[in-house]
Amino acid sequence: MPPSTSGLNAAALALVATRIVAALFSPENVLKRDQLLSTPLSSYTQLREGIFLFKHNIDPYSGGTFRHSPLLLALFSTILPNSRTFASLLWTAFDLLGAWALVSIWRARQNVSHTSRDILVAASYLLNPYVFLPTLALSSSSFQSSLTLLSVKYAAEGNASLALFLLAILLHIDLSTFILLPPVLLLLITGPRSHLASPHALAANLLRIIPHFSRYLLYTGILAIVSTSITGGTRWISQTWGATLTLPDLTPNTGLWWYFFTEMFDHFRPFFLMVFTLHLSIYAIPMCIKFQYDPLYATFLLLGVLGTFKAYPTLSDPGLFLSALALFPEVYPYLRHQMVTALLHLHAALLMPLFNYLWLSTGTGNANFFYASTLVFACANGAALIDAIWAGLRIAIGEEKEGYMVVQE
Amino acid sequence: MRLALCWFFLFLVGCSGVYGHEEYFNENLKISSLQDGRVSTTFSFETILKGVPPRDPRLLNAPDSSQHYIVFPLALGQILREYAVTELHLTLNAGSWNYERWGYPEESGVGTGAELWAWMGAGAPMSIDDRWQGLRNALAGLFCASLGTLDEQRTTSPTHSYFPHGILPSWNGSSAHELRHGSMPSEHVCTENLTPFLKLLPCKSLSGIASLLNPHRIFDADWHGLGIHVLWSGESGIKVRLSFQGVMDPLRPSISQKRDWSLESLFGRSIERSCPAANSSNIYVTLPSEAYNISPEPSKIVGQLASYDILGDKSFNVAMKWPRSFQYSPSYETSVPISVVRTLRGATQASGKLSLVISNHRSTPQSLVYLETMPWLVQFQLHTLHARVDGRIRDDVISNISYMAPVPHSRPATFQAELRLAPRSVTHLTMDVDKAFLRYTEHPPDAQRGWDLPPAVLIPILSDTEDNHTRSSNRQRLGQPIYTSTLLVDVATPDFSMPYNVIIFTCSLIAFIFGSVFNLLTRKFVVIGPDQPPEK
Repeated sequence: MPPSTSGLNAAALALVATRIVAALFSPENVLKRDQLLSTPLSSYTQLREGIFLFKHNIDPYSGGTFRHSPLLLALFSTILPNSRTFASLLWTAFDLLGAWALVSIWRARQNVSHTSRDILVAASYLLNPYVFLPTLALSSSSFQSSLTLLSVKYAAEGNASLALFLLAILLHIDLSTFILLPPVLLLLITGPRSHLASPHALAANLLRIIPHFSRYLLYTGILAIVSTSITGGTRWISQTWGATLTLPDLTPNTGLWWYFFTEMFDHFRPFFLMVFTLHLSIYAIPMCIKFQYDPLYATFLLLGVLGTFKAYPTLSDPGLFLSALALFPEVYPYLRHQMVTALLHLHAALLMPLFNYLWLSTGTGNANFFYASTLVFACANGAALIDAIWAGLRIAIGEEKEGYMVVQE
Repeated sequence: MRLALCWFFLFLVGCSGVYGHEEYFNENLKISSLQDGRVSTTFSFETILKGVPPRDPRLLNAPDSSQHYIVFPLALGQILREYAVTELHLTLNAGSWNYERWGYPEESGVGTGAELWAWMGAGAPMSIDDRWQGLRNALAGLFCASLGTLDEQRTTSPTHSYFPHGILPSWNGSSAHELRHGSMPSEHVCTENLTPFLKLLPCKSLSGIASLLNPHRIFDADWHGLGIHVLWSGESGIKVRLSFQGVMDPLRPSISQKRDWSLESLFGRSIERSCPAANSSNIYVTLPSEAYNISPEPSKIVGQLASYDILGDKSFNVAMKWPRSFQYSPSYETSVPISVVRTLRGATQASGKLSLVISNHRSTPQSLVYLETMPWLVQFQLHTLHARVDGRIRDDVISNISYMAPVPHSRPATFQAELRLAPRSVTHLTMDVDKAFLRYTEHPPDAQRGWDLPPAVLIPILSDTEDNHTRSSNRQRLGQPIYTSTLLVDVATPDFSMPYNVIIFTCSLIAFIFGSVFNLLTRKFVVIGPDQPPEK
């Protein structure tokens, strides 16, 4: 028996209230410096520093460590007050927006106005520790997650201009999100409906993505011009996009890049930077080709790729991937090793903060400890990604019959 | 022998007539007793090349006029002309100067380690940065100091705090000069720097005042430092001043707790003969206000300053004796208007807090220029900069902030601001800093030791004439700089033995995930029946 509407509303209210209470009583001062929750590209202290310099007529992009987009700079230098409470509430509001977008995607995929599972989908986002801890640390990666979900939501609902505009903003906040463009374009010309169980060739005319693509380029160009006019120069390009490509800041994070390029031999650095950037972008087109009948699933898988392989990830990137798994209950029976993945995640989630603390604060561990735990975290994310791809493909075969085997050719 | 020397000098004087430059060499030594029983000794060797302007940088490519000097140090002169340096200051110091006990030093550049700053004219075929690099390397070679490491990661241009001591010439109406400043707090001054320093003097350490520079004694001093200052003073030409300062402790070897000193006891030597090349050679002794006994009798006493002219003297020694033994006083009267304590707090290797405690000892408000030049590995969070007086945040203390942000892996930060201290107050300045994470090749060989950070400089503003901001008026506005002590920052280190392992581990993991993903994406699923053998 489905629960009553009033019960669902009460549960939703309880969720929202939990998050607001958490925002009001969170220890931001402890969390805001946590390297798992915010990177130099998304940290709140750096944002404050940039706003301070901007307001004192010092170009924050003239050097230094400010690597946020000029759009965020303009936005927050006008609306961000000094009150911490307001900032926490603003960040939580963005998370709620993200949860709403996730629920809307779910509804669009099911093609119904509301389902009894809505609350579960929202909870998977709002109660995911990977998602809400960065929010409590006021990391701008939470904005990124919410913007991603909003963009996908509008794409799923067929609102091309809003989806592409949000995607263009997302590109300005984080360059690596360009790999989300192909599946979102496909999503715009097909639809969000689930076709995982019935693969078929792309029905829509591929040429229809051209106007969408040019619109995306237009929005990106306009935002670039806006950014240039905000800062009065083009130095923001090397400070924001350039940082994603050249990794000037080697502050530890949950990703694979920082220690690799700390330990890299100087003469191989440009080569491996190129390899890592290409490697990140190489997944986009094959995923779209394989899942051409269900671009929403391709989008979801590419979120997993971003969470594992992008240059400056925080916990909210893999968190977004794991929360988005709630959109695809049809693949659950075909997941092969949920338990292994979950245990790997548990292992990494417990050891990463511990080893970070042991290395940097107490000095009783060294960098290898933390590096090893990020490797386990990458294994966990990789395992989840591989399992999701397997399940997404395996569902097309259906239930295994007695005596028959499903193998890869 | 003496006759030969006379002929030689007559010949030199003739030469100077031929080349038209007049050169003068003046040396002096100033000895004063400090409040805490120590003795400050300041050697100053000044060479003046009269009527010669600094080299015009626009003519750097043209062949230079031949350089014939008599007493002017040729090795230094060549460097100055090669890179068209107008003004140059190099100091190499060991220890940190205790302003509260010792007052202002005679030579103001007392920052710990090496400090080099130069003014160079613009418009040369070689860029100023290239000439600065050449200058550093040449001086590094000349003085056997690691000044070559004052690269772009340590070079700043703090034009609100450093002003030329001489005159900057204008060539064809353009007097565009640029300042380059670098400091290297981990550099230590020792014998290998003193030997080339002495070689620049006309009499080396064979005679005259320079013969007192006995490395065994002067590097045993509580504080010691040497300096080279080159400036152009217009009409009177180019001045090169080589200085050596030492703070010695006569109480340390004394059994009777007396501050008695003599040249013999301070330097282990007395002056055997005077330097024949010197135009003047004086020893000044600051006379104390209490009872004392000085021998020999000074030839001249002006105020508290006794002077001895040792030119032509055969041998010379001066001794000061106190009838009573020295009593340490619990507190010292300080002649410096402020005192400052600078520390870096915080236990983690990812962030910290820079803290300055500045006390104003005067009963009048005091304005200061505050300069921090910080290597990029310590990154300021300017929005957290707060001044507190009596525990309350005060916004009116800090003004006129000028900030040049650092560039990771290349440029240091330059932070300059004006501070206004209330009378007889203690001001606490705090600012959060982030510590950078370095590539493993950027760490020094002794990485666990940490990094020395250059001293901050606080310069009292003498008169508040803010309406006029020209360079010369600014110079007069500012008093003598006060250097803070240096800091040591603990930066997180990677495992230096691991580069191959990390590359292998990370690449293997990426290859594994990449392989698995593309294995799934490129191969089809098929169903195999019970009696069907798997297809090969």
